[in-house]
Amino acid sequence: MLNAVPLPAVLTLAAALFCIGLFGALSRRNLIGVLMGVELMLNAVNINLVAFWRYFEARYITGQTFAIFIIAVAAAEAAVGLAMVIAVYRHYVTVQADEIDRLRG
Amino acid sequence: MYDILQALINGTFGWGWPDWLIYLISSLVVVTIILVVAPLQMLFFTYYERRVIARMQDRIGPNRVGPEGIWQPIADGVKMFTKEDIVPEAADRIVHFLAPCVVVAPTILMFAVVPWGPGMTPVDLPTSLLFFFAVSSISAVGLMMAGWASNNKFSLLGAMRAVAQMVSYEIPAVLSLIAIVMIVGSLSINSIIEYQAGLLISNRDLPGIPDLGLGWFVFTPVGFVAFIAFFIAALAEGERTPFDIPEADSEIVAGYMTEYSGMKFGLFYLAQYVLNFLLCAITAILFFGGWQGPGVNWLYAQAITPTNPDGNGLFNVLAGALGVFYFLLKTYIFFFVMVWLRGAFPRLRIDQLMDFGWKFLIPLTLANLFSAAVWVAFTRWGAAEGMLITVGWSPVLRWLAAFIITLAINIGVYLWLTQVYAASQAERRRVELEELSATL
Amino acid sequence: MEVVVQITFGVIAVFILVAAAMVVSVRNVIHAALWLIACFFGVGALYMLLEAEFLAVVQVLIYVGAVSVLILFAIMLTRQITGEGVRQLTNRWPVVLAIAALLFATVLAPTLINQQWNVPPAPPLGTPEPIAGPAELGRGFVNEFLIQFQVVGVLLTVALIGAIVIAYEERARRRKVLTLAEELELKRLREQTSPTVSEPVEAEPVVQESRSASER
Repeated sequence: MLNAVPLPAVLTLAAALFCIGLFGALSRRNLIGVLMGVELMLNAVNINLVAFWRYFEARYITGQTFAIFIIAVAAAEAAVGLAMVIAVYRHYVTVQADEIDRLRG
Repeated sequence: MYDILQALINGTFGWGWPDWLIYLISSLVVVTIILVVAPLQMLFFTYYERRVIARMQDRIGPNRVGPEGIWQPIADGVKMFTKEDIVPEAADRIVHFLAPCVVVAPTILMFAVVPWGPGMTPVDLPTSLLFFFAVSSISAVGLMMAGWASNNKFSLLGAMRAVAQMVSYEIPAVLSLIAIVMIVGSLSINSIIEYQAGLLISNRDLPGIPDLGLGWFVFTPVGFVAFIAFFIAALAEGERTPFDIPEADSEIVAGYMTEYSGMKFGLFYLAQYVLNFLLCAITAILFFGGWQGPGVNWLYAQAITPTNPDGNGLFNVLAGALGVFYFLLKTYIFFFVMVWLRGAFPRLRIDQLMDFGWKFLIPLTLANLFSAAVWVAFTRWGAAEGMLITVGWSPVLRWLAAFIITLAINIGVYLWLTQVYAASQAERRRVELEELSATL
Repeated sequence: MEVVVQITFGVIAVFILVAAAMVVSVRNVIHAALWLIACFFGVGALYMLLEAEFLAVVQVLIYVGAVSVLILFAIMLTRQITGEGVRQLTNRWPVVLAIAALLFATVLAPTLINQQWNVPPAPPLGTPEPIAGPAELGRGFVNEFLIQFQVVGVLLTVALIGAIVIAYEERARRRKVLTLAEELELKRLREQTSPTVSEPVEAEPVVQESRSASER
């Protein structure tokens, strides 16, 4: 793998995925669509970490550990974020981001 | 398969084909075998279940289509193929089409890591147990797709219930497996099977045991509790009674399968039986030794293996046949138990089901995990890891101490948990009734 | 052999990017969730190619098996009554697209491609490399990364409890359909507390029992 695919190729793939996720997170109206963009960005970061782990220090486990922690944190964040989306839906009966535009009172 | 083909083509016939060609041919042969064996198992299981459950219900079951009805599953298959494929007009066509595929594909993929005999694993991964459970969790997505795409409230509700049940019972299943993985020290299914050689006690724990292939995990307290918890969780994952809310006709029409007809329904049916076969197989592998049994290891030691390239090819066949026989015998016995439970129990309500999974099985498997750690500490650790108590003990004494302590821990936790769970369920009923009598 | 690896990487990369592009652009949010699942599979395949097998399996197990199911549940519980005809990109989406594209093209890509990475030379194909696997991961979790491991455990517990509390629906709002056993229990409780009222109580349960029997 190291001989065949150069490191910048994998990093560019991760950067492209990050930019696509950024576009999704900033421009979708559905709250869950925004969350999906955030998940794409987290996956891009994970690809970056695993690529650096493999190309530089495959002997040590630090890179994979970091990636696993990011997966765990992303899952926790998705759980809490979606619970908030459900609570918002129960109150406003909509999940379109620009229709939720008034604070209480 | 690669070794056998290599020895056959380059050794016996002397054709001298290149390596990559033998790899390709061996892969194709293995894939063909899996794709033929999986549906055949499912056909046999449907027939087996219908006959057995009929006898339990004091009737006979299908006996007309062939001698004793053995062509019945083929008749069922023909029926499924020839029925009209109806898609509701308001349904999401692409998702409706893909949902059965997403449910069936993981179940066939899981066959890749199941060892049928010594040296007979299609793909030998170092993390094959985790692969097995990761792939089995993909079919939950397929269920959601099926429930959503039908555009039918009953389907959606049934799909949500089915997915909630499947996802909730994955946790005690995996936790009970982690106890076994801790004892073996490896995630590879082949290592777990090889650990279970011996006679009532594994070869690895007490080195002098004769190798009769009977040192199964179910004979240890940790393995026994893990087996019970895993089997109950496997019943819930495969949607068998008493956990078959998702497919109970009297409860929710046919749940997520309501709007499916013809071969798509046939695929859901196939996926369910294949998943149940695989769960029975994994129970047999992890807790009852899989293909381990009297004689298999002795035969395999004289066969062609990667460590013994000039063995006798005949012993390969014999060891393989005996191993497959033991494996299938154990798997069919477990499926018989599943059918037996179907004939004996009524089904649980969805809230009873979820309570049992989260409030009873998960604490039990967590305590079992602690017991497994105690077992490993007593049987394997020495002064280097801090276990100064067992310095100088013989392996027999260490195994005995581990056995007694884990037995005490498991029995104590089980009795305490049943008490606490019964008390909490009674309390809950009382509180609900009080609230009702207050409102009415 | 190298060409095979390059082709595989190219196919996986195209698959990931196409799936991600579909996630952010399809109209129906369920289809977007399904493309997200495809993207997760692609990333898992990439991890497998990078020889992080345990991480690939964990990615499939957690992202496809759990997070995707969570997202699908949330979508199904928050159905829009107006249907799928609504726009799903904000008004200023060309601006955002331009920003993201410019970020990639002018900042990220040149930095990544022109940087001197000084990757240590790879051993020739065929020599066994000591690559860290699940065993080292387990040892790492209890030796060097113990505090991080415990903190992540606490974080997940807090997230679990927090999600339940945030999405909790109060009991007073829930309608309750009684089972026959609960009806009889209720009748018994009421007769205990008010033993004088006997005639009207007897007339009700017949109606209620038949209603609950037909509802079950």
